[in-house]
Amino acid sequence: MLPAAGELAAGDSWGMLACLCAVLWHLPAVPALNRTGDPGPGPSIQKTYDLTRYLEHQLRSLAGTYLNYLGPPFNEPDFNPPRLGAETLPRATVNLDVWRSLNDKLRLTQNYEAYSHLLCYLRGLNRQAATAELRRSLAHFCTSLQGLLGSIAGVMAALGYPLPQPLPGTEPTWAPGPAHSDFLQKMDDFWLLKELQTWLWRSAKDFNRLKKKMQPPAAAVTLHLEAHGF
Amino acid sequence: MAVFSVFQTTFFLALLSLRTLQSEVLSEPLPWAPESLKVSINSTHQCLHLQWSVHNLAYHQELKMVFQIEISRIKTSNVIWVENYSTTVKGNQLLHWSWESQLPLECAKHFIRMRSAVDDATTPEQRFWSNWSSWEEVDVQNSLGHEPLFVFPKDKLVEEGSNVTICYVSRSQQNNISCYLEGVRMQGQQLDPNVSMFNLHNVAFIRETGTNIYCKVDRGDDIKGIVLFVSKILEEPKDFSCETRDFQTLSCTWDPGRDTGLLKQLPQSYTLFESFSGKKTLCKHKGWCNWQVAPESQEMYNFTLTAENYLRKRSVHILFNLTHRVHPMAPFNVLFKDVSVTNATMTWKVHSTGNYYTLLCQVELYGEGKVIQKHNVSVKVNGELVLSGLEPDTEYSAQVRCANANHFWKWSEWTRQNFTTVEAAPSEAPDVWRNVKSVQGYCVVTLFWKPLSRLQANGEILFYNIVVEDLDRPSGLQLLSVPAPANRTELTLDQRAYQIHVTANNSVGTSPASVLVVSGDPGDEEVEEERVKGTEDGFSLSWKPQPGNITGYIVEWCDRPRDPLCDLQWKHLGPNTTSTVISSDAFRPGVRYNFRIYGISTEMVPYLLEKKTGYSQELAPSDNPRVVMSNLTSHSFTLSWKDYSTESQPSFIRGYHVYLKSKAGQCHPGSEKAVLSDDSVCCKYKIDDPKQKMFVVGNLQPESFYEFLVTPYSAVGEGPHGAFTKVTTPDEYSPMLIRIILPMIFCILLIMILCYLKSQWMKEKCYPDIPDPYKSSVLSLIKSKENPRLTIMNIKDCVPDTIEVVNKHEGTGKSPTEPEAAKPTYLYLLPAEESYSGPGPCICFENFTYNQAASDSASCGHVPVPTKAPSQLGLLTSSENLLTALEKNCMNSLEEIPAGESSLNYVSQVASPVSGDKSSLPTNPPQPELCSEYKMQMAIPLGLAAPSSSGSSSLSSITLLDEGEHYH
Repeated sequence: MLPAAGELAAGDSWGMLACLCAVLWHLPAVPALNRTGDPGPGPSIQKTYDLTRYLEHQLRSLAGTYLNYLGPPFNEPDFNPPRLGAETLPRATVNLDVWRSLNDKLRLTQNYEAYSHLLCYLRGLNRQAATAELRRSLAHFCTSLQGLLGSIAGVMAALGYPLPQPLPGTEPTWAPGPAHSDFLQKMDDFWLLKELQTWLWRSAKDFNRLKKKMQPPAAAVTLHLEAHGF
Repeated sequence: MAVFSVFQTTFFLALLSLRTLQSEVLSEPLPWAPESLKVSINSTHQCLHLQWSVHNLAYHQELKMVFQIEISRIKTSNVIWVENYSTTVKGNQLLHWSWESQLPLECAKHFIRMRSAVDDATTPEQRFWSNWSSWEEVDVQNSLGHEPLFVFPKDKLVEEGSNVTICYVSRSQQNNISCYLEGVRMQGQQLDPNVSMFNLHNVAFIRETGTNIYCKVDRGDDIKGIVLFVSKILEEPKDFSCETRDFQTLSCTWDPGRDTGLLKQLPQSYTLFESFSGKKTLCKHKGWCNWQVAPESQEMYNFTLTAENYLRKRSVHILFNLTHRVHPMAPFNVLFKDVSVTNATMTWKVHSTGNYYTLLCQVELYGEGKVIQKHNVSVKVNGELVLSGLEPDTEYSAQVRCANANHFWKWSEWTRQNFTTVEAAPSEAPDVWRNVKSVQGYCVVTLFWKPLSRLQANGEILFYNIVVEDLDRPSGLQLLSVPAPANRTELTLDQRAYQIHVTANNSVGTSPASVLVVSGDPGDEEVEEERVKGTEDGFSLSWKPQPGNITGYIVEWCDRPRDPLCDLQWKHLGPNTTSTVISSDAFRPGVRYNFRIYGISTEMVPYLLEKKTGYSQELAPSDNPRVVMSNLTSHSFTLSWKDYSTESQPSFIRGYHVYLKSKAGQCHPGSEKAVLSDDSVCCKYKIDDPKQKMFVVGNLQPESFYEFLVTPYSAVGEGPHGAFTKVTTPDEYSPMLIRIILPMIFCILLIMILCYLKSQWMKEKCYPDIPDPYKSSVLSLIKSKENPRLTIMNIKDCVPDTIEVVNKHEGTGKSPTEPEAAKPTYLYLLPAEESYSGPGPCICFENFTYNQAASDSASCGHVPVPTKAPSQLGLLTSSENLLTALEKNCMNSLEEIPAGESSLNYVSQVASPVSGDKSSLPTNPPQPELCSEYKMQMAIPLGLAAPSSSGSSSLSSITLLDEGEHYH
């Protein structure tokens, strides 16, 4: 469920950004991530995880503004319409067992594909926004999302997975058809933001899982021994 | 009858045939009836579009016809619209007619039919209508699809203030459906079981993304909605005008009003159309547009500006002659030539506007920020104007602008340029005054002058020339040059008369000279000072007119009289003037200003006429005098404040008040009771003469406390009631007593000093440590008087006859210091003198310097007679060594005493046993009591039991050990 509109002020996102920058700056100083030699995918997974959390926060503010721009009922906190007309959007919700059974490659590929599509839709949203301030916020978010996409690609490259190639003709475009009413279009915008929120939440889980999995073996042994100790 | 029957039959047959004919005619369609009626719909615009043709109309025939169209909703009998549509019909022409439905067409079935008639304007009531066409049914619901819920109209665009009807179509009657406008539930009207409509009146603009209207099935997820785009009403462009600056481009501007842009609709567009040329341009900007002027010298222009959006179009027109709309460019190349002291020629150029136009240019000349001259000049290409009446060495600013001279439209922008006129010689003599002081036989003249005003200086003053001419020796000239901006100089002259000429000089020339004569004698002293009353506006001074030739008067004063450099000021006045008002921003309340009025003789010699002094505003005295009190007696004292200056006070001091506070509160004659601000009552003495700075306060009581305060008073009040000075009058007799007591104290001191210096001698004389019998005066006295052979008794010769017993009662509770307890009792051990066979009498001394308490406790001769002999015995036994020493001492001392012939009873000062028999000590405890006794002269500290070289001390210690608990 998306948060209520205007939950956080814009100033908070700057504070969060500063916090994130500080975290990123100090990442090399974390001993677990500062091993000599090949650091492995660990740091880039951590970075991707942090970026996901930051984007989650940023989207909360952006979605509030955008849904107010659409007007009620889209900005009502309990508005939960059926997912109609937004079938092309990549769906983030997945059965828990299925999610657990995903291998790393598939997990990362799904993330990459989802954000590729979502980014494309989001750019379309930016083009049709009427106010300059909203366009600026959307453009800023698109840039951040592009960064996340690059970060995921980096993790995949570090793990030796190839990037998924888009099939020709399946490139998503922002072109509402003539039969697509304005109300349905607003509904699509609503679902786009909602799916984006869910995807960011899911990605945080994904990367957290990956992060734990990629922890150095020594640490794992220690944890194991401690567990036996109990 | 038969005939009648035949006739009747024939009539009926004829009637029948006519009827038949008529019925045949009526059953066929009338010529020109509408046919092939087709109805189509436009959902977006909610329009029904009708298309038909006219039956049997010849190809070339043209007929004016009227078509009556009926529209029913839901069922044919529910006619909602009837309209007569008149048009001219030609041959096989297809006719069209549209109708916009308020209700979305999807919400209900519509039925349309029509009939026609030839339009006879003259008799419309006798119109023959054709038959109605059959009803055409329009039912869009069938083509909607199978979704459970629809809301119409889809994404409609309307203007603010419109009325809009919304409807929903539900596929299921069981569903309860709610519809919301911007989250607020709407109340609708049911058209049929599946359809409800909602009328929105006077809809308002909410946001660019439209107004959201949606319906949802209660207890279900399905939600359907539409966005109603409400546009602001397009306004007519305001202030539309066009002008040219260069005859090449017409610049048209207007106020576009509010923006009608929506997410669904672009902002309004503007189109400029010129009807004479037939050209049209789409303006790129919202508020202005440029139009290229045709090269073929088109003079008249008729512009139509059209604002247009999806819903509305608005136009404004202007018609004008191009030459009447000329807004010239700003003039350029503004220059000044031939700039002299008072004149300058200004030239400028204007942008070419063709040879046919004359421009009117306006020139404004600014001096010191204000417009001082305005000129209008007609200009073709080059403008020129001579500016005159200028001041020398002055900076001016001139600006020029131009407009079309024949048909004024707008002024161009200003073009501004500065210039400065050249200098001229100063026009006025400097205003000079002097201050003369005599110093050691010389005359020190300080010359002051005021700087010339800008108008008088005519340029920058570089220096001042001063020529001093000795009037007694015309040849003696002294020249002095003082560089500007100095405004004073000092000359030292002798006591002769001098004429001083002062001139100001700039780069061009010299000013006229200012002449002043200085004589050796200032002659200031004889004039009396007069007081004047100042106001906020200044001091009004007047003086007596002087007989004789006077060239004028000068009033002199100081702006800051309290400063050493008092900022000398002066004012020149004409010979006929005898009064003036001196005002200055420097005048402050409470400051005394002194004015001197001089007359200037024809020889330019100033002489003092009058002196004035005053305050612009008098203030109450701020300080009280520092009072010195003297001559304090028991009945009076004197107060004086000699150093109090009345001149430097903030008002004219008129006198003093002396306040005296006393406990008695009685005021003597010459004083009055006054109540101070703290409600205390005191006596007030008033001194009316400000020069009297001494006051004797009399009639006082001796040994009384007084407080006094001296404060000045003036016309505006008195000084502050600050701290009173306290004084107490002395006792009446105390001086006499002092005269006696002081010498006495002196004498005593002298004696004490002498005693101190001769203390050893005094000690030996008066109170030796051990009295020496040989030195005793008693002895010598006896010797001289009675027996010259008398000598000191030897102790060996002394047989004790008495024992001094100190009777002490333990547990009696009496203090040991009581005299009774210590009183000695003498036991006579030997018979009286006659039975006495000893070598000589004992002499007993009573030492009066003896400390009674110490003797009570520790004297060897006062060893108490023990009531319990064993205890005392024990004590003595334990102190055997001590006793041995004691005995020895005692024996020694006894040995020294010569056998005495003396009859005096002597008690030795050393405690020694009566005899040298040690064995007798334990058995005769009182035996230590000696025949001779010396009372201890020194108290032994309690508790000290250390052995001493003195036997008496030892004994004392022993005693103390036993009775310590009583003497602690």
